[in-house]
Amino acid sequence: MLKVKDIETYYGSIQALKGISLEVNEGEVVTLLGSNGAGKSTTLKTISGLLRPVRGTIEFMGERIDHLKPEVIVQKGIAHVPEGRKIFPGLTVRDNLMLGASGRVKLSKAQIAEEAEQMLELFPALKPFADKLGWTLSGGQQQMLAIARGLMARPKLLLLDEPSLGLAPVLVQEVFHIIRDINTRGTTILLVEQNAFMALKVAHRGYVMETGKIVLHDLATNLLNNEQVKRAYLGTTKAARRQVVG
Amino acid sequence: MDCFLSVVYCNGFRQWTTDNGQRSVDFITFLQLIISGLAMGAIYALVALGFVLIYNAVGIVNFAQGEFIMIPAFFGITALVTWYLPVPVAYSLVLAAMVVFGLVFELIAYYPLRNRPFLPVVISTIGASILLKNLAQNIWGAIPLRFPGLFETGTLNLGGLRIGLQHLLILGVTLILLILQYLLFEKTLLGKKMQATAQDKQTARLMGIPINKMIALTFIYSALLGGVAALLVAPILNVTKDMGGPIALKAFSSSIIGGFGSIPGAILGGLFVGVIEAIAGKYYSAYTDGVAFFVLIAVLLFRPQGIFGERIAEKA
Repeated sequence: MLKVKDIETYYGSIQALKGISLEVNEGEVVTLLGSNGAGKSTTLKTISGLLRPVRGTIEFMGERIDHLKPEVIVQKGIAHVPEGRKIFPGLTVRDNLMLGASGRVKLSKAQIAEEAEQMLELFPALKPFADKLGWTLSGGQQQMLAIARGLMARPKLLLLDEPSLGLAPVLVQEVFHIIRDINTRGTTILLVEQNAFMALKVAHRGYVMETGKIVLHDLATNLLNNEQVKRAYLGTTKAARRQVVG
Repeated sequence: MDCFLSVVYCNGFRQWTTDNGQRSVDFITFLQLIISGLAMGAIYALVALGFVLIYNAVGIVNFAQGEFIMIPAFFGITALVTWYLPVPVAYSLVLAAMVVFGLVFELIAYYPLRNRPFLPVVISTIGASILLKNLAQNIWGAIPLRFPGLFETGTLNLGGLRIGLQHLLILGVTLILLILQYLLFEKTLLGKKMQATAQDKQTARLMGIPINKMIALTFIYSALLGGVAALLVAPILNVTKDMGGPIALKAFSSSIIGGFGSIPGAILGGLFVGVIEAIAGKYYSAYTDGVAFFVLIAVLLFRPQGIFGERIAEKA
């Protein structure tokens, strides 16, 4: 479904990605692990078109997309839920949801409104706040809204950037439950997560990044038992792992 | 208490008195001042809205906003005086020309610099302002021109209260325009997309919102507001290449007084400055133009975020 080959991305003169290659197959949850500054978010931004790679190619459903604008890429079927939720603070929850379908230009306003109502049914925690402004929501509610808004694009591939960041442990569990649920309904997911243990629990495969390069790639179950990954991201003791799980 | 108005009403709602019984201000005159102040304030509000919408959309102050009034005023003179077009046709033509003007302005003064920091863009708008003024002088000359208004001399007499019809027109049209704007921004998906673009451009792009189109639409709408303001105010002013400057400066002050970036703030700030200016002009006419800036300094001293602005605190 998604083939990223040898991409190199720069912030000005600083090279953030140094030849990243990865694949995501239809129906999978693939996770990108790595410490801060490894280039995980940059990889997602490059795929969704917010950053343009200097070298390398990105193919989605057999079509080159590395030269396209983000507003075109979302129409191709890739929705990016950015780090920090990025809810439109001055718009209501319902408006935020409706804007998530902006790339589906053939839909009428009435159809979009109807789909927003259906989405509120799928995310019952948001329903009582449908007419509240985005900034009034809690962090957990904003994350639910960000994911729901991403789904309004009816994506084939959902890019999730740090969906559990800053959330209380009980909400982290809920977010990962939603991610699994979305995948079960047929949406492919590329997940960037600091919470490596939870991410590998929900993912089929994982890539480990360090300073702009992919240093490890394996099935999620293998990565969970990989000593190198355990030491770097999961902790080796039960106490450390409990801390990660929350 | 001897100098303060006690708001004792007498003589059949005709005048206020002070405690010592001196006649202070004729109430009818006062009402007329308020209405003419609101009318001028409505013009400031329209121009202030233009400032704020562009600022919210692209994060820059458009220093050519005054020329968004001057250019349509000259367009109007050409259409009405030179071409002798009927008023509805001429007005429609001016507004249509402002749609093109807003788009061309955006494409030349903003779009090529869209990925640069704000300073080059601001300088670009200053350059555009100078260019437009010189262009206007070359085309229409340096002598002030008279814009034939619909009712610039007519007045409505309501039991002694005489209101200029042009002032009523300004208030009526501004009110309709504000209602239409509210409907556009709050009830249509296009308006929500424009709001989303103003709030977070990067996320708006991820939603599939064509932000460059939204920004171009914002410039067009701002130019249209200038066009409407020009058609309303030009009949009560002389049309010169410099006519937009003072209006834009006062409108800019209004938007800061209201809270820069706030749409209700721009509207109320404009009305406030218009009324204060009218009242001050009655008693201290030499300082009429300075009043807006005096109020601005006072607001910046005591409430720097403006009436509707949010306080920006530095994090420790």
